Amino acid sequence: MTETVITLRLNQQQLELIDRTIARGVAPDRMSLVRLALREYAAARNSGAGASR
Amino acid sequence: MTSRAIVSEFTIEPGTGKAIELLKGQILRVEQVEGGQCADFNCFNLHDYKEYMHCGRTRTVHGFHPTKGAFLWSAPPRERAMLYILEDTVGENDVLFPRCSAYVYEASYGFAVHTNCHDIQAEAQREYGLTPDDVHDSFNLFMCTGVDQDGHAFMTRQTTEPGDYVDLLALMDVLAVPNVCGADVMKTSNFALKPLKLTIFAATGADLAQVPKTPILASQRTPKDFRNAVIKTDRPLRRDPSYKPEFPNTPIMVTELKIALSTDELAMFNAVKRTDIYGEDDGAALRDLVFSWWEERFLQAHAGAPSIESE
Repeated sequence: MTETVITLRLNQQQLELIDRTIARGVAPDRMSLVRLALREYAAARNSGAGASR
Repeated sequence: MTSRAIVSEFTIEPGTGKAIELLKGQILRVEQVEGGQCADFNCFNLHDYKEYMHCGRTRTVHGFHPTKGAFLWSAPPRERAMLYILEDTVGENDVLFPRCSAYVYEASYGFAVHTNCHDIQAEAQREYGLTPDDVHDSFNLFMCTGVDQDGHAFMTRQTTEPGDYVDLLALMDVLAVPNVCGADVMKTSNFALKPLKLTIFAATGADLAQVPKTPILASQRTPKDFRNAVIKTDRPLRRDPSYKPEFPNTPIMVTELKIALSTDELAMFNAVKRTDIYGEDDGAALRDLVFSWWEERFLQAHAGAPSIESE
């Protein structure tokens, strides 16, 4: 399966928030969390909810 | 319901204000006598005047027109709920406009001297040793304001009646300073200056039970947490030669995180990414997406405002 790699540049504060979110059980790791964010963000816009920004 | 005991009563006449020691658990009622009168309001921690009500924080949390159910917050780094608006029979208060000042009346109307909220506040606060520089942005009770399409704040007439009131419950000991707004040549108080009645009540258990819980956070710092807790007593500013910067969380360091997207995920991303802002920079667009998602999913309060209910 073709994959495209995107480089996220995050500072230590941004990583802390991501890691704390993972610690809450939202996703198992950073990569999974970003993918979850993408799916949910896109789904919200496809359904018309939360599409203001 | 148990009735409230009256602690004291005052009438503030046009052109005046009154500094009142309002203790935790007491209620200040600001009441219309004739109707149509705006009141400006300042508030300080009675035991540390450097903690004072912050309209900026208050408007961020509660919007431009705080009313029943809103708190009046102190400035960073304290950021504590100082007062709670327990009742408001009108719902037309303002935290957009600053206090009117002598400058306004001189510059716009040509008055050498005119009643104005800054000078009235300063004179009322002088009873407690404060100076004109200590007057802060005012919470404007019974002031009807809005924002026009050009982004400018405007004020207009009010429709308050005799007996209309706002009840402010003290959540800490404060110096509460209401004043009769000095504007008689503006719409604020319908072009006339009228007295206001002030009543201090002891809150009942039922009153206190109405107050929602607010978070107690480590970031609500007090002088014991300050690197410099000494109040400067002279006016000139001079560099401290021993100063070494200690900005929090510095240096800011960036880590690269490689995110592999499948064809489907890439299509999803391309459909929603903000190219209008980030152009071809997919990394920046994905970072925006991640934190925008986080806000949508987890942020409870508006615009980063402190939450009202503790978890």
